[in-house]
Amino acid sequence: MKASYAFIRELLPALTASPRELSDAFTFAGLEVEGLSEFGAASVECVVVAVLSKRPHPTKDKLALVTVDLGEGKTQEVVCGAPNVPEPGGLVVLAPLGAHLPAAAGGKGMTMARRDVAGVPSEGMLCSESELGLSDSGEGILVLPANLADPGTRLSDAIPSSHDHVFEINVTANRPDALGHVGLAREAAALYDLPFAMPSLAAVLAETAGAAGGVIGDVVRIQVEDAAGCPHYGAAAITGVSVHASPLNVRYRLAALGVRSISNVVDVTNLAMLGYGHPMHAFDLDRLGGMIVVRRAKAGEKLATLDGVERTLDAGDLVIADAEKPIALAGVMGGATTEVHAGTTRVLFECAYFDPRSVRRSARRHGMHTEASHRFERGVDPGDVEEVLAHALATTRALAGGKALDGMLHVRADMPRPQPIKLQRVKMDRLLGVSHDWQAALSLLERLGCTVHGTATDDEAELRPPTHRPDLLRSVDLIEEVARVRGIDSIPAELPPIRASRDVGGREELEREVREAAVSLGLSEAVTFAFLSPEDLANAKAPPAFVGLKNPLAVTQSVMRTRLLPGLLQAVGRARRHGVKDARLFTIGRTYVAPDAAARAKEPVDPAGAWPVDERTSVAAVFVGERPSWLQKPESLDVWDVKGTALELVARATRGVWTATAERLDATVEGAAHLHPRGAARLMARGRQLGTFGPLHPDVLEAFDLTAPVFVLELDLEALRAPLEAADRVVYKPIPRFPASARDVAVVVKDDVLAGAVVDEARRAAGDLGQEVALFDRFTGGSIPEGHTSLALRVVYRAAARTLTDAEVDARHTEVTQALQRAFGGQLR
Amino acid sequence: MSSIDQALADLRAAFPARFAAAETEQALRDENAKILGKKGELTAILKEMGKLPNEERRATGEKVNLLKAEVEKGFEARLAELAKGKRDADLAAPPFDLTLPGRLALPRGHKHPISRVREDVVAIFRQMGFAVHDGPEIELETNNFERLGFPPDHPATDMQDSFWTEDFGGGRTLLRTHTSNIQARAMMGQKPPFAFIAPGAVFRRDDDVTHSPMFHQLEAFVVDRGVSMAHLRGVLSEFAVRLYGPDTPVRLRPSYFPFVEPGAEVDIGCAFCKRPDGTRAGCNVCKHTGWIEILGCGMIHPVVFEQCGIDPEEFTGFALGMGLERVAMLRYDVDDIRLFTENDPRFLEQF
Repeated sequence: MKASYAFIRELLPALTASPRELSDAFTFAGLEVEGLSEFGAASVECVVVAVLSKRPHPTKDKLALVTVDLGEGKTQEVVCGAPNVPEPGGLVVLAPLGAHLPAAAGGKGMTMARRDVAGVPSEGMLCSESELGLSDSGEGILVLPANLADPGTRLSDAIPSSHDHVFEINVTANRPDALGHVGLAREAAALYDLPFAMPSLAAVLAETAGAAGGVIGDVVRIQVEDAAGCPHYGAAAITGVSVHASPLNVRYRLAALGVRSISNVVDVTNLAMLGYGHPMHAFDLDRLGGMIVVRRAKAGEKLATLDGVERTLDAGDLVIADAEKPIALAGVMGGATTEVHAGTTRVLFECAYFDPRSVRRSARRHGMHTEASHRFERGVDPGDVEEVLAHALATTRALAGGKALDGMLHVRADMPRPQPIKLQRVKMDRLLGVSHDWQAALSLLERLGCTVHGTATDDEAELRPPTHRPDLLRSVDLIEEVARVRGIDSIPAELPPIRASRDVGGREELEREVREAAVSLGLSEAVTFAFLSPEDLANAKAPPAFVGLKNPLAVTQSVMRTRLLPGLLQAVGRARRHGVKDARLFTIGRTYVAPDAAARAKEPVDPAGAWPVDERTSVAAVFVGERPSWLQKPESLDVWDVKGTALELVARATRGVWTATAERLDATVEGAAHLHPRGAARLMARGRQLGTFGPLHPDVLEAFDLTAPVFVLELDLEALRAPLEAADRVVYKPIPRFPASARDVAVVVKDDVLAGAVVDEARRAAGDLGQEVALFDRFTGGSIPEGHTSLALRVVYRAAARTLTDAEVDARHTEVTQALQRAFGGQLR
Repeated sequence: MSSIDQALADLRAAFPARFAAAETEQALRDENAKILGKKGELTAILKEMGKLPNEERRATGEKVNLLKAEVEKGFEARLAELAKGKRDADLAAPPFDLTLPGRLALPRGHKHPISRVREDVVAIFRQMGFAVHDGPEIELETNNFERLGFPPDHPATDMQDSFWTEDFGGGRTLLRTHTSNIQARAMMGQKPPFAFIAPGAVFRRDDDVTHSPMFHQLEAFVVDRGVSMAHLRGVLSEFAVRLYGPDTPVRLRPSYFPFVEPGAEVDIGCAFCKRPDGTRAGCNVCKHTGWIEILGCGMIHPVVFEQCGIDPEEFTGFALGMGLERVAMLRYDVDDIRLFTENDPRFLEQF
């Protein structure tokens, strides 16, 4: 909301704070001023001058040399290129030497200096409105009305609203009163402890009544069919007006506040809205047919609104109608048919209180957010209807002439009056943690418009909030008023005695452990969106989404993921297109799947409601590119890199408590379709599947536009979660006291023999003495026959209670080699 | 002098020079073997002893052993000398080329900046006695709004334009717009007193340089008897000091959030232009004000307590919440929130 410093001062003349000071005061009272700018800064330096004569420029057709009267007998000649220099006697605006025009030169600003214009020196410039920063219009120089001011008068004195300071205030949804300058002036009065008086209603009414031009009840009838939607409908009328442009002082006030000037009568309604924060509407009374009906629209009824759009109404829309058809969308926007136009002479002003929810629904339904709906949604002051109407009549008479019709029409249901609120001193002090002066607190609340109900004691008081503060409903609301006006920053800091609680859910620590483990394994963490497109899931051969979004920002973010991989694959794709060939990324996040009814049946009932879907925390990782090497040609990553990482990730994430194994996985089974069938594997521990890993299926690579092999890993953290909480521990084994002996054996086997089977057999044969069997070399080619592989194992022998003799070791090792020969037909090397 | 004595004398005279002449360990060992080996010179002399009469044998044997000991000592000494020479030569050799890259089996992994901030903030609150409370990201409307005092169709929900889910049979649900749903869940599920934090992903229909449709918040709340706004300030000050260093001032500005009353926004003294004397120079991060806004807070609204079945006459509480992206953007000078979800390895590797 833009707010005018000058406007506030007109309403609160006692205010002496500077714009900057007031800005800070507002901000620290909860009306955050996000910007403070000067409107019409040049108006202070520029002066009103009268044209004395003009003559052509000696060389340039389009330029004129204009002699102007600066007042006090001074004259000056300036070069001017505008086509609209008035005849002698006309008033224009001169920027004298040294004047700074911040808005001139296309917004870059300029300072007036003596300059030559096509050979003729000019000491100043006649200004347009846009050069003065008063409007966007650059059509010629500003020509002022005759007799506006004496030559030599500063523009800011001639037209006060041509210079102002404008606050950009972020008004929170609870403070509709601050959406008008009356509310801001009242707030300033409370903050600076100044007396504040509303513009006198009696004075305004007297002024209008004196010029009665008939009785309003004779020209229009008002019927409110939906009192809940419109608890108060007020109207006043004026006849004999002359619709034309508003005077400059009004136009600049509106311009400063970002409102376009339409015509004097329409501007009246905007001035009232900016003043009271209470939107109103002006109808051409002659186009109403003498009837105003406030009702719900019939479904399908049409209304052409002032923005030129024909709208099809919903049965929920509250409308203002004449006898037959809607003429305005209540609280949102007027209709074109009853619009005030150049020929309008009789005007009906509407000022109403509409139900905030109803207005909000209509505005949202029609995708409209207007100055009016913004205010009605938040709750306008139901108590100022008469005053706003009276103000509108008075302003109209000042700007457009005419005679007000006698009386006003008010159709009102019982609006609940604000109820008195009990405020207790001890509760206030306890909540704020500081003791405020009680009398000062009460007086502050009174300045904000509350009235003390009954008698206040030293310990408690009953206060009735004003109608313009719909946010004051309970004692905490009053306490907040005291805190914010006294300065919330004055509350001391004191650490509370916190009684320790216990984690609920337990994912945070597990996620941290997994993150730590993954990072220690050389993976970098990505954060991916929880929503993606249905195609992304299909492309990754993931289950279709269980949850879709009704109102996504884009189809690419329209369903909730069932897998983490698509997001990572997209990241890898982007990275590779940017020339980053190596990526090892992981992410921890949730997937959203149908609730597992069986599992839920075992869980206790959550009084806040069961989680709507099962949110499974998972980890996914992708590997692409080359393995780091040292001063050698790097090698491409392969499936064993991801296997090693997978097993180690489980071990590290569980602090060595869990040992995972990898098993080949039939890629046709559910959950593995995204993997290359040759390398699909699942990660097992304690008889349960923790996840899967392997090379990505070429179909998936293609779908994600990936050209290099990608290896992926997915781990379901839910599978790790419960058992980890069950007091798992590492159990110490005694350190061996007797030496070990190692023997190597190399065996040549057919290619289809699995290395794991060879190791297992060696381990079996080594029996109780075999402490460790490790594959340390794998070799093909050379002297190894076609279709065969040489596997070299190292077997470490050790006995727990004695030192083994060479003979014992040799004997056992012979058994191992013979066993391998028997089992695999292997030739020893 | 017997021929044996002569031979021993010759050998004694010769071996030091022969050892000294050996320039390598192998040469020395060979030379040693020539003297002491099975077919060595001293062994040969020993064999000659058999020809001696018994009475001389013993004396000669002693002489042989004496010489053997001398040879062994000479050998050891020369061996040590050679080893020392070798070590001296090694020490004096040209230095290694340490400009070659270091060798590391694995590249370094990097935590996401949001995670770094999250872990730091979680740790700070844990140290103050808070526990972590989990909750759903797809939430019932009532826990996201009504129980937190957002009236239906209230403009306050404009601040939190929501993603609504298609009906899947779970009632009216949405992607939570804040982590405050955890307040509702904690209050419904537990009896006070408690102190929880709730970090996690939240979702709003916004997408620009400073807004992401998915971002992260961390909420902290305490409910107990006698909790005051001074306590809130105490926790805020402590938090600011622990996250941004000693002497970090905290400033409250009244503001409005439906679920707190009084509510405030919190500025902390800019950590990026702090001078040694504690004043702040003003910088681009704080837009030259010396203050940066990092969170919102307030005393839990009695309506929230009532909605969640807690007696507001008995219990009071405070809540505070911050956007982790905002903290991270300030901390790491990141100017576009979208970098956090683009996951460019060149971005991630910087953290």
